[in-house]
Amino acid sequence: MSDVQNPAVLSAPLVVEFPFTRSTGPVVGAFLTGLRERVVLGIRGSDGRVLCPPAEYDPVTAAELDQLVALPGTGTVTTWAWNERPRPYQPLDRPFAWALVRLDGADTALLHALDAPPPDSGDPRAVRTGLRVAVRWADRRTGAITDIACFEPLADGSGSAGGER
Amino acid sequence: MSAAVNPAAVPAGPHRAVGQEPVAVVGVGQTRHVSARHDVSIAGLLREAAVRALEDAELTWADIDAVVIGKAPDFFEGVMMPELYLAEALGAVSKPMLRVHTAGSVGGSTALVAANLVAARVHGTVLTVAFEKQSESNAMWGLSLPVPFQAPLTAGAGGFFAPHVRAYMRRTGAPDHIGSLVAFKDRRNALKNPYAHLHEHDLTLEKVRSAPMLWDPIRYSETCPSSDGACAMVLTGVRGAARAPRPAAWMHGGAMRSEPTIFAGKDYVSPQAGRDCAADVYHQAGVVDPRRQIDLAEIYVPFSWYEPMWLENLGFADQGEGWKLVESGVTEMDGDLPVNPSGGVLSSNPIGASGMIRFAEAALQVRGEAGEHQIDGARLALGHAYGGGAQFFSMWLVGSERPDS
Repeated sequence: MSDVQNPAVLSAPLVVEFPFTRSTGPVVGAFLTGLRERVVLGIRGSDGRVLCPPAEYDPVTAAELDQLVALPGTGTVTTWAWNERPRPYQPLDRPFAWALVRLDGADTALLHALDAPPPDSGDPRAVRTGLRVAVRWADRRTGAITDIACFEPLADGSGSAGGER
Repeated sequence: MSAAVNPAAVPAGPHRAVGQEPVAVVGVGQTRHVSARHDVSIAGLLREAAVRALEDAELTWADIDAVVIGKAPDFFEGVMMPELYLAEALGAVSKPMLRVHTAGSVGGSTALVAANLVAARVHGTVLTVAFEKQSESNAMWGLSLPVPFQAPLTAGAGGFFAPHVRAYMRRTGAPDHIGSLVAFKDRRNALKNPYAHLHEHDLTLEKVRSAPMLWDPIRYSETCPSSDGACAMVLTGVRGAARAPRPAAWMHGGAMRSEPTIFAGKDYVSPQAGRDCAADVYHQAGVVDPRRQIDLAEIYVPFSWYEPMWLENLGFADQGEGWKLVESGVTEMDGDLPVNPSGGVLSSNPIGASGMIRFAEAALQVRGEAGEHQIDGARLALGHAYGGGAQFFSMWLVGSERPDS
């Protein structure tokens, strides 16, 4: 009876692995490889606009695109959202902004984290639309979007090169 | 006739509804199906098939009014709703784009959704594309998700279907070697199809029969491969077909049927939904004797034994007789009802595309464009797909003549 009332629970470890592979193709693959080399690549569309992040196919004509353009690591915030309480695995462990950054020479904006003072801080480097920013590269780069650790405000608001840590 | 038809499932009255636009296949494109296309993105894979279909039809993106795409479950690649990023790759910007999902039958039902848009004169010319990039993950384990309140007994689709194959063998008394005959036939047919994944030049019947048992009674050699691939078709109406550079394949009937995975009385060996779907398609096309009137069939056979099972379900053979057609060579390339001259799902299985490949291969045959695996004089061909727990069925009959001619 006691066996029924207090059954010994058998257990065994079971680790199910379900890996995913991403074949990135010639354009996104080049973009990611560029990040590893500290180069941000955009691509020229059929209407002459430079798209960054680059698109494999033209959003207007559907043509295959292949004219990659190296962009500087500086740009302008076009819009943003403040993140007061970062969650685990987000790019920064202190309050930061999610920002759309239009890199200099590009016509579209890239979403990434921005390490800047909060909007109501009165700090001239505080997050705002129009803020001039630069890429902060990650120390270890693997060919992923996280090779950009985040963006950070340019100290003098000009177009000079971004910092590196 | 073997197929017991549920009368409620078949609409009475005229064959294809009056007033519908006749639907023509004027372009077909496929990728060369392989185990891994690491050189292209998902978008690039679809693009390749779509461009080939446009080239076959001698059309451009501007000629396409709407795009209908399909694939099997999203966790096969781990990209949720991939259609969100495929509009540019498929020239669908500023046009309607739909995504269809009916598990493994999706390639067929995607083509039928596209065909119905043309038939209803909603759109003039529609591009339809289906794909799977199995190398991005592992569909076998993706299909082994635990079902609530059931013992987790299955590993992949084979684990689910093997008992139903065993039930078929028991019900019909089919001898053990029938499955190997189907696998050997389809793999030899694939040697004539440059797009097929498996080209096993050295295969012998003995090798098929001595392959390792995967899911009893299904051997490794009687199982479909895992493929990366896409298939596309351009569908249009009478005016579009008149401008087409090559002969069109005309839709003579098309239907889908569904039933639950599990219900009391479900016949896994010959599901009612499959029988009803076939009966509807034959009715639309005016086919009363499918074995005699249909020249060939591209049937969704992921495990070899499903050829005789579906031959019965589709009314090509009386119940219990399907395996005899296989054994006597009727379904060989030179038999009087060739089945899967392309090599079938047993030779290429980009899951989401596999149903559309069946539909497209049927179309290629009646267009006379099937190349080395062309069946001489093919005038009426069946494309068939099934999916889920043998619960979603989609089929079409295509012919070399206009249905209203």
